[in-house]
This record gives sequence, C-alpha cells and structure tokens, in this order.
Amino acid sequence: MTGKCPEYVNELNDYLDGSLDSGICAEIEKHLGKCQNCRIMVDTLKQTVKLCRGGKEESLPPALESRLNNLLKAKWDKKFGKK
Amino acid sequence: MNEKDLVLRAQVGDFDAFAELIGAHKDKIYGLARKLSGNDQDAEDIVQDTLLKAIDKIDQFRLEASFGTWLYTIALNESRALFAKRKQTDLKPIEEYLPGGHSGSHETGDHHRLFDWRDPGSVLESEELRKKIDLHIAGLPYKYREAFVLRYVEELSVKEVARTINESEAATKSRILRARLALREQLSEFFEDRHDREMS
Ligand SMILES: [Zn+2]
Repeated sequence: MTGKCPEYVNELNDYLDGSLDSGICAEIEKHLGKCQNCRIMVDTLKQTVKLCRGGKEESLPPALESRLNNLLKAKWDKKFGKK
Repeated sequence: MNEKDLVLRAQVGDFDAFAELIGAHKDKIYGLARKLSGNDQDAEDIVQDTLLKAIDKIDQFRLEASFGTWLYTIALNESRALFAKRKQTDLKPIEEYLPGGHSGSHETGDHHRLFDWRDPGSVLESEELRKKIDLHIAGLPYKYREAFVLRYVEELSVKEVARTINESEAATKSRILRARLALREQLSEFFEDRHDREMS
C-alpha cells in the first residue's frame, strides 16, 4: 500500500458517526479493505463510544439533596429578605 | 402548575416554586456533573454552585429558554470554572494516535499490529471496565472531556456542542476526535493487558 493512513483523518469522526457523504465513505472503505490496522482502528473507535455511553443513570444522592435544600433555603431567604 | 407560572412565582420569592423547578432537573444536572468531573465530590460542588448561582440569577431568567436548558448552561459554566483552576495537560496531536502515522507501508514497515478488541465479550459487563472508563474520561484534559461528554454521553449534535462550548465546529470536531482517540488508546491498553494476563 502506498500513501499515509492519516490521509482521511479530518473525515474520520464524520465517517464514524455516519455523517460523511458517500463518495468519501467509499474511498475510506476501500482503504479499510486493504489496511488491517486502519480497520481495527475504526472498529475500536466505534466500540470506544459504545462503551463510554453505557454508564448508569445517576441520581442526586439523598444526603446531598437534604444538605442542599437547607443551603438553598438559607440563600433564598437572604435574597428575598425573609427571616 | 406549568413551568412559566412556577418561574414567575419563584421570581417574586416563592421558594417552593423554585424547589419544584429544580426538582425536575436535579438528577440530570447531577448526572452531567458526575460525567464531567468523574468523581462524587466535584460533582456535588458543581451541583451546589449551579443551584446557588440559579438563585442569584433567577431574576434574569427569561422565558424564551426552558428552565432546564438555562440550568444546564449554568452547570456547564460552573464545571468549566472549577476545572479552569486546575492544571491540565494536553493530548497528543491526532496523527500520533493513528496507525502508520507516517508514510510507508504497514506490511513492510516496523509498525506494530494494533490490538483488536472490538468484541471484548463478557468484559463489557464488568465493574472493572466501567470504573476504568470513568477514570479515563475523567483523566482527559477538561476541554476534550467536555466536548466528548456533550457529544457522546449527552448526545448533543456537533453543532450544539460547538455552540455550547463557544468554539467553531472545526475546533469542536477536532476536540471530540482527539478525546475519542485518546480513550481508544487507553482502552486498547486495558484489553491488551487483560488478553496477555489470560494467555499467561
Ligand atoms: Zn491504513
């Protein structure tokens, strides 16, 4: 193979996110067909995002919530001039 | 009571109305703060600072935006302010993350074959991996972490991320890609180590 692999670097993320026009896509795919490292790169970059997305939903810890409520109420009363 | 009424009441000093307004968004704000900071203590500080700031600025809130979006923007600013005070390293240039980052053939060159972990199987579920990922995201320099989290965890479009962080789309894309490349490299090391351990 000739040329540099990072040739498509500016298009890489658009390619991964599927927002690249089909002409350039075809070019990249042609390269991927011949270049194992680039193919692994692309596959594992896709996998990276999948893994990072997979976290659990967080909710506000109850202890923080009650501490916050007191703090916010105090600030509120100060701002709006209540005793 | 709808959001508009709650806002109007909060703006004249009704704390219960304010509490109801933030109640609908507090988990989302905490989740964002947790992702952006990568630890509980910073996440708590961000949420606290965000809500205190919201009290300061409640009079300035205009009903054109939704209250949730407004609060979200404050949280992003508070998070950024927190991390601006800390020393950040930079990531490598994009080229250095790529295979065969200079001219020449892979087949004949001395480039090492990338480790392929696209199908890591059971490890996907593991708590160990989950912790690693959170740690690696948290370890990214803030400006990359922020762009990456907004794009892929919060699932904003590139355009929305660019607007949110006040950068050009090109700069935003570059940050997102560098973050993604850096995380890929770290995960690669994790999977390769694991593979080696299993083999030995
Ligand atoms: Zn290649």
